[in-house]
Amino acid sequence: MASSDWLDIVGWTESMTSWSMDNVHDLMPSEDIDLQVTVPSTWAWPDPFTIGPIFNLQDGFASIQPALEAFMHAMIMSTVVFGMMMTTMLAIPYIERKFIGRLMDRLGATTTLRSLWVGESGVTGGEWWNKLPFGVGGPIGWVIGALNKTWGNSHELETISRVNNRSYHGYWFLLPGFFQAFADFFKFATKEHIVPRDADKVVFEVAPVIILSTTIMVFAFVPFGPHIYAANPDLSLLFMMAIFGVAPLGVFFAGWASNNKYTLIGGMRSAAQLTAYEIPLLITVLGVAVLSGSFNIIEIVDFQIGREEGNVWNIFMMPLGALLFLITMIAEVERIPFDMPEAEAELVEGWWTEYGGIRWGLMFAAEYMRSYAACILFALFFLGGWEAPFQHTMADLPWVGGMVEFALSLIPGVGWILLKAWGLFAVFVWIRASLHRVRTDQILEFGWRYLLPLSLLHLVLAIAIRLLFWDGGPWNIMLPIAITAISGGIFVILAIDEDKDALEIQRRPYSTQAVVKASPGSHRD
Amino acid sequence: MAEMWISMGPQHPMTHGLWTLKVKVDGETVVDTEPDLGYIHRGVEKICESRDFTQITTYCDRLCYASANTWSHAYIYAAEDLLEVEVPERAEYIRLIAVEIQRIASHLMWLGAYGPDIGNLSIMVWCLREREMMMDLLQELGGSRMHYNFPRVGGVKRDLPYGFAQRARAKLKLFLNRIQEYEALYDESTIFLVRSQGVGYAKPEEMVNHGVSGPNLRAGGVNYDIRWAHPYSVYSELDWAPPVERSSIKGADCYDRYRVRVEEMRVSASMALQALDKIPGGADTHYEPEDPMILAKAPSRAPEGTSGAHHFEDSRGESMFYIAGGGEGRGKQPYRVSIRSPIFITIPFAAKCMIGYKVADIPAIMGSFDPCIGETDR
Amino acid sequence: MGKIISESVQKEAAEVIVNSISSLEGVEAEVVERSSGTNPRNVIVANPSPDSWRALAEMLYSDHAIDYCSMITGIHWPERDDDRKWEVVYHLLRTGVRDPPSEDGVVQPIIVNPSTVRGFGTPVEIEVHVHLPDSRTPSIDSVQDIWVGADWNEKETWDLVGIDFDGHKGMRRVLLPHETPRGYHPLQKQHNLRYHGFEEMYDDSQGFMRKPDDVGKIK
Repeated sequence: MASSDWLDIVGWTESMTSWSMDNVHDLMPSEDIDLQVTVPSTWAWPDPFTIGPIFNLQDGFASIQPALEAFMHAMIMSTVVFGMMMTTMLAIPYIERKFIGRLMDRLGATTTLRSLWVGESGVTGGEWWNKLPFGVGGPIGWVIGALNKTWGNSHELETISRVNNRSYHGYWFLLPGFFQAFADFFKFATKEHIVPRDADKVVFEVAPVIILSTTIMVFAFVPFGPHIYAANPDLSLLFMMAIFGVAPLGVFFAGWASNNKYTLIGGMRSAAQLTAYEIPLLITVLGVAVLSGSFNIIEIVDFQIGREEGNVWNIFMMPLGALLFLITMIAEVERIPFDMPEAEAELVEGWWTEYGGIRWGLMFAAEYMRSYAACILFALFFLGGWEAPFQHTMADLPWVGGMVEFALSLIPGVGWILLKAWGLFAVFVWIRASLHRVRTDQILEFGWRYLLPLSLLHLVLAIAIRLLFWDGGPWNIMLPIAITAISGGIFVILAIDEDKDALEIQRRPYSTQAVVKASPGSHRD
Repeated sequence: MAEMWISMGPQHPMTHGLWTLKVKVDGETVVDTEPDLGYIHRGVEKICESRDFTQITTYCDRLCYASANTWSHAYIYAAEDLLEVEVPERAEYIRLIAVEIQRIASHLMWLGAYGPDIGNLSIMVWCLREREMMMDLLQELGGSRMHYNFPRVGGVKRDLPYGFAQRARAKLKLFLNRIQEYEALYDESTIFLVRSQGVGYAKPEEMVNHGVSGPNLRAGGVNYDIRWAHPYSVYSELDWAPPVERSSIKGADCYDRYRVRVEEMRVSASMALQALDKIPGGADTHYEPEDPMILAKAPSRAPEGTSGAHHFEDSRGESMFYIAGGGEGRGKQPYRVSIRSPIFITIPFAAKCMIGYKVADIPAIMGSFDPCIGETDR
Repeated sequence: MGKIISESVQKEAAEVIVNSISSLEGVEAEVVERSSGTNPRNVIVANPSPDSWRALAEMLYSDHAIDYCSMITGIHWPERDDDRKWEVVYHLLRTGVRDPPSEDGVVQPIIVNPSTVRGFGTPVEIEVHVHLPDSRTPSIDSVQDIWVGADWNEKETWDLVGIDFDGHKGMRRVLLPHETPRGYHPLQKQHNLRYHGFEEMYDDSQGFMRKPDDVGKIK
C-alpha cells in the first residue's frame, strides 16, 4: 500500500489483537492433555483401546488463533468504522439544515434568537426588558443595543428590513440547531409502531431491515483513511456496488407491503428509477476502475495519490465520469431532483408513508447514510481520497516544501476525506434547494436515453486513455490539462447561450412567448 | 396493472385546500377524475340573509382568504349597485390600490405554493417573504393581515395612512426587482420547463364555454378581462393592459398559466404605483374616516324588487355577486345573496384537463389553475 | 390611457339583442342601466316564461354568441303569488373570445382593442329572470348541454335551493355532503339559521373528550 499516515488504526488494531492473542496463547497450558482413557471392548469393537493424548490446548489455540485474531480485528474495526461513520454523519443533516436554510432565506432558530433584539425601526416589541422588575432590564438594554448595532438590520425601511434582511448573520448563529439531529432521533424512537391492517406483516418488517442493513454494509468497504477500514478485499469496489444496489429491493418491498395505493405507486416508481440509474452508475464506476487499474478502492486512491502511479486526481482525467457519477448517485439516493418516489406533492412520502417511529427514523437515516456514502465515494474515486489538494506540488516547492510536507503529514487522511465529502454534500444540498422534481417517465427517459450512452462513452474514453497514454508511470501533466480544458470548453459551449431570441424559441418547444408584457406604466426600473 | 381509483384528499399536501380529487389511474396514466367539494361549506349565502349590508363585508373577506380584498370589493360593488350609491373618485383609487396589491399577494401565494408542487422548495419561502411586504401594506390600509373589512358601501373605511405612499412605492419597486429572482428559479430551470410545458392543454373557446376566465383564460392567447369588458372603478384612468400569453396550438399549458400570473404581478404593481401618483387629492393627504372624499352617504335599505349584480375580476377569474333586496328589517338585510366563485367552475374543468396525463402531472395541472377552496365552498 | 369598452357601443349591442329576443314568444326584455361605482353599464334583463326559457337560451347561444354562463341563482319567494314562488336568475356574458389562429405552428394571440371593438364581439351582460310557479319540486329546463359552465351551477342550485333542472345529467350534491337527506335544501326560507343548541363532537373546548360518533350530530 503506497499511501500512509500516522493514524494507523488498522495497524494498531491488528497489533493489539495479535499481542493479546499471543498472550492468551502463552497463558494456555502447554502440556498435552493426556487422559489415557481405556475404552473397554463392546459388541462394536472387539479389542479395548486407549485414547491417548487428545488435545493440546496451546496447539489447539494456535491453530485457531489466526481466525480468532481476524475475527476480533474485524469486530473492532467494524465498530470503529461504524462509530466514525455515525459520528461524522452528524455533520450531514447539520449541513443540510443550515445551508438549505440560508439558501431559502429561512433561518429558523437563528431568526428566532435574533428576534430578541431586532424589532421594527430598531425597537423590539415593547422593549420587553424594561418591564422586568427592579430595573434589572437596564444592562439587558445595553446588551441589546450593542447586538443591534452589530447584528441588527441594515435597511432603512423598517418593514422591509423586518422580513427582507439578507445580511450575513454571523458565525455564532451556526450553533443553534446542532442538537436537532439527536432530538429528532429520540422523537422517532418514542413513536408508536403502527402496521396497516391488511399489510403483509412479514414483508413490512423485513423491508426496513434490508434497506438499513445493506446501507450500513456499504460502509464496511469504504476506507475513511489509508488505515481506517473495516475490510479490504481485492474486489472491494465490486462488493460495495453490489450491496449498494440491494436497497431498491427493500424499497419495493416497503411500497408493496403497506397495502396502500400511494405507496405501491411510489415503490414501483422507485424500483424503476433505481434500476434505470444503477446501470450508468456501474458503467461509470467501471470506467474509474479501468483507468485506475484496480477494483480495490484503496488502490484506486493510491493510484491518484502516488508519485509513481497516476499522481493526478481522477476528476481531471475523466470529468465526464465525475459528472455522471454525481448525477446517477443523486438519483440512487433519491434526492431532489430525482425524488419522485417520495414526492410529497402527490404521494405524501411515497413508499415509506405507512412507516412510523424508529423504522421510519432509521430508513430516513439510511437515506442520509447513502448520500454520505455517495459523497465519500466521489471523494475517493475522483478527488484523490485522503490527499490534500496539490500535496505533491506543494511538497516539491523549493524552500517551504519541507515544512509544508511536515505540516500536511500531521493531518490524518481522514480529515481530508471528510472535508471533501462534506463539501460535496453541500453541493447535493445546493442542488436540492434549487431544482425542481423531474417526472418519473422523464427520469427514466433521461437515464436510459442520455445517461446510458454517456456512461458508455465515458467507459470508452477511460479504456482509450489507459491503453494509449499509460506507460506505468505518472500521467503526463499535459494530459489532464488537455482533458479538463476540452471538457470545460464543451460544457461552456453547451451551457451558455448567446442568442437570447433563439434561446426563447428553443425554450418553448411549441414556440410560445408572452406577447403583451407588462410594459405600460414604465415602473420597471 | 389494473385501473384503480386513488383518492387525493381531503387531507393532502397538494390540493391547496380542503377537497377531494378522485383519480382513476391505469399505471401512471390518469384515465378519469371526479372532484368532490363542499368540505368547508360554511353557508355564507344563508348567513348573509340575516346580516346588514355592512356586516356582510366581513364574510366576503373570508370567502377566499388568500385574496380577501378582491372578494370584499366584489361584494361592495354589487351592494352599491343595489343601493344605487355613487362612490367618490378618491375612494375608487384607494380601492384600486388595495385590490391590486391584494392581487399581487394572491399571486405570490400561488407562486410560492406552485414551487413545492413541482419540487422546488426554495421558491416558497422567497415568495412568502415578498408577500409579507404586501401584507404589511395591506395591514396599514385595512388593519389586519388577512381579513381587512376594508371597503364600505359608498367608499372605504379609512384613507391612506401617513407615509403609506412612500412605503408602498419602495416596496413595490423592490418587489419588481425580486420578480426576476423567481423567474430565474423557474424559467431558467430546464426541469421546470419540461414539467410544465406540454401539460394540461386548454383552448380558449372551450374554457369560455366551461366558464373559466381570468388568468387561466388569458394564458390561451386572448385578452379578455372584466376590467375593460364590463368596466368598473378607475381602470380607464391608468395605463395598463392585461398580460396575454401566446399559447401553443393545442391550447394553454401550465407554463402559460404560470407566465401570465407573473406578468400580472408586474402589471398590478405598476397599476398601484400609477394610482398612487394619480390619486385625486394626492397620496400624502389624509382624510379622516367618513370624510365625503372617501365615503359617500349611502342608504341602508333596499326595498323588495330591487337587485344588484356586479362582475369583478378576481385574482382567479370572474367573480360575481347577485343581491336581491327586500329582506328582514324592511330591507335592511338582503333577501338573497348569491356568490359566483371562479374556482368552483374551474375545478371540474381542470379535472377534465388532467385526463390523459401522468399522475405526476396532477399537482402541476391543478396548481397551475390556482384553486382556493374557501371561495369554492363558500 | 387605459382602454375600456365604450358605454355607447355596449348599449347598442345590448339593444340589438333585446330587439331580437323580444320577438320570441313569452319573452320580455329590456336594457337596464346599472351603476358600478363610477361607470354606468347597460345590462339586458330578460323575463321569459318557464316554457320559453330553453328556446331563449338556444337563440342566445346560436344567434348572439353568448358563450359564457356566469352564474345560476335560485331564490325561494314564499310570500309571493303562486305563480312566482320560485325564481331562477341566470347571468350570462358574451365574451367575444375566439381560439387564436396559428401560422406555421406559432399561435397569433388575439389582442382585442377595447375601444375599437364593435358589433358581434362586444361584451354584453345578460340577466335572465325566470319565475316558476309553486310546487314541492320546482323545475326548469337545463342548459347544461349549451353551456358547460352551467353544469356545476345547476348542481349547486338544486343542492342548496331545491330547484330541479330537467335534462341535467349527473345531478348530485356538490356543496352539502353526499348523504344529506332528500328534500333538504337549506336556502329555502322555511329553514332558519340556528345559533344555539349545536351538538358538538367534543365535550370540552380543547377536544380531548370526544363524544361517540352518532350522538345527534347535525352534519
